[in-house]
Amino acid sequence: MKKRFLQAYKQAPWRIQIQWIGLFLLGLVLAASIAGLYLNISGQAATTGRRIQNLEYEIGEIQNEIADLTTNLAKEQSVEKMKARAEEMGFKLRDPSTAVYLEIPGFNPADSLVLAPPRVNVLSESPSIRSSYRSSLWDWFVQKIWMSASGSATEGGN
Amino acid sequence: MKPPFYTRYIIVAAVCLILGAAIVIQMVRINYNTYAQELIVKAQDYQGVTKTIYPERGTIYDRSGHVLATNQIGYELGLELKSVIDPESIAFATANLLEDLNYADIYAIASTEKREIENRYYVLSSYVSKEKIDELERLNENYAQRRAETESTKPSLQGLVWTPMQQRAYPEAELAANVLGFYNYFSRETAQGVYGVEEAYNRLLTGKSQEVYLANDPYLVEVQENIEPGASLVLTIDREIQAMLEETLTEAIEWSDAEGGTIIVADPETGEILGMASTPYFDPNRYWEYQETFPGITPYNRAIGTAYEPGSVFKVITMAAALDSGVADLETTYTDSTGVFWVADSWPIYNWDGGAWGEQDMTGCMQYSLNVCLAHIAIDLLKPDLFYQYVQSFGFGRSTGIDLAGEANYPLRLPQNNQWVELDLATNSFGQGIAVTPIQMVTAITAIANDGRMMTPHVVRSVMSNGQQYNVRPQVINSPISAETAQTLTEMLRIALEEEASNALVSGYSLAGKTGTGEIPTEFGYTSELTNTSFVGWGPTDDPKFVVYVWLEKPTISKWGSEVAAPVFKDVVEKLVVLMNIPPDDIRMGLTNNE
Repeated sequence: MKKRFLQAYKQAPWRIQIQWIGLFLLGLVLAASIAGLYLNISGQAATTGRRIQNLEYEIGEIQNEIADLTTNLAKEQSVEKMKARAEEMGFKLRDPSTAVYLEIPGFNPADSLVLAPPRVNVLSESPSIRSSYRSSLWDWFVQKIWMSASGSATEGGN
Repeated sequence: MKPPFYTRYIIVAAVCLILGAAIVIQMVRINYNTYAQELIVKAQDYQGVTKTIYPERGTIYDRSGHVLATNQIGYELGLELKSVIDPESIAFATANLLEDLNYADIYAIASTEKREIENRYYVLSSYVSKEKIDELERLNENYAQRRAETESTKPSLQGLVWTPMQQRAYPEAELAANVLGFYNYFSRETAQGVYGVEEAYNRLLTGKSQEVYLANDPYLVEVQENIEPGASLVLTIDREIQAMLEETLTEAIEWSDAEGGTIIVADPETGEILGMASTPYFDPNRYWEYQETFPGITPYNRAIGTAYEPGSVFKVITMAAALDSGVADLETTYTDSTGVFWVADSWPIYNWDGGAWGEQDMTGCMQYSLNVCLAHIAIDLLKPDLFYQYVQSFGFGRSTGIDLAGEANYPLRLPQNNQWVELDLATNSFGQGIAVTPIQMVTAITAIANDGRMMTPHVVRSVMSNGQQYNVRPQVINSPISAETAQTLTEMLRIALEEEASNALVSGYSLAGKTGTGEIPTEFGYTSELTNTSFVGWGPTDDPKFVVYVWLEKPTISKWGSEVAAPVFKDVVEKLVVLMNIPPDDIRMGLTNNE
């Protein structure tokens, strides 16, 4: 009687096998997905790393090129070349005795060269909330223990 | 009851276990092997390198923003010996391209027998220009084409490598080189500014180098931190004025057959140096030729680096002391009846011409540059204490503090020194027996041209760092005389110059100034026929905008400052007023009155 009862509730052997296979395949798919994801992320990281390297190299190249162009421009605008070009174009140094001076009201030639904004005094950020109000209970607790342990607590008791 | 194949299962399991254990043991053994550390280090080497990144050196501009010193690309040319397969082609290409390199030497290096076993890198040239590298690249492409056509491995430049790096460039070449100094860039580790602004501001211009890790492994690559370039400088030097001074000085030296010279132009109100020419000239782009241009003890910049006996230009200081202390005024007279002044009844002082000039007021003493008169003022009126007190107040005997490297200073011989004798006081009063640098004279004169305020001479106007501009404020060093004395003396020297009909006068402009002829001491005394000729002048006298100092060393055309240095001063001022946009006095006064 007992044997018959158990037989009524026991899964068919092929069903159990299917379940195990299914479980195994699920694990396999999960592992493959994780591996695929990892591969994808690491692939992207490697590509980005290479791109960073290339961009750093390009930055260096561009900086060198800028330096080169600045120098070439400065050479082209050197006193010697500008003077030769001016003479070629028929200009000559002004004779003060023949110069005509005009009074231009309000004209104020710029005296100093400005290549960058002037120095600004940066005010340090002054805390509006006392640090004790911003620390966590744990920080406060650790600090108190540390201070009492090192014996350097200087707080007054008033 | 044992299941079927039980023993077989046990054997298989035992084999797997032993294999697994063996693998683990082997892994542990490899990790603690004596060669393991070497392998780890090698692996780390392949992962990346730690490199020092040097920031771009700051640019130097003139006061109008023209570039005087900047950076340009250059290449290091080297040989990776292990990669070389065709030494002949490499030797041929580089020897043809680079004048310093010889075919045989390069061939010997490139074909070294050790190249197969030693991965050595050999630097052929630290700096090669971009144009030459472009030529090399074209040749390399040409060789590649020929290899493809002939299906052979030669000709090939394999193993020859060129690495870009920045080098210092001076686009104006020789212009203002004595002020700028130079940067010896051949070795990045030891590179530094030498002389001038490059040395004085080396730390600012260089910036902060940083050690960074450059990973080869793409997983470890990180974005590099932005390295701030070195600070840039705006100088007080005006490029046009500087060019004019250098050209004028060259012509003056040629005309007067002088050994060398210097001309300084300064703004007396601020102490800014507008131009400073000094011989010999030098191209800092080829700084390695420094020794050829400046052999022995030749100073890099005479204007700050050479002390000499200035002669009569120093009388301006003596007269300033006399007027300011009140021991003399415009009405004070001195009668030169013999043309000789005896110091302590032992040493005679003569005038420049040996003659006697009769009764003279103070203006006359300066106009005719009478040594006996100035010796009388120093010995009988000022006396040692007051004279040297003023000389020191004018900054003589110590550095001016100009922001250029290589400033010289010759200590004063004072009464408290054992070697001092009364004769020193007499000779010092007219600029003999005292050594000064041109920049010391210019600094002292700024006090007279600037209502008694002596300004610190400086060549840097602004510093640009971290995207901000810091302007240098003019600084008063001292006020050795009152504004009233300064104006009186200026007026006195204006009259003296005009009445003398000096070679220094410029039509339309009121100028004050003084000539100087300094005898040059030898080991036997003042026996040389050669002199140092100088002229110091400033103007316009009602509102001085410039101080000009001219010094020509040992001219042979004439030994007198009035004949050699004064005409040069005139030349300079005629061009200077144009470049500085200073109208003639009558026009300027008219414009001022209309305001």
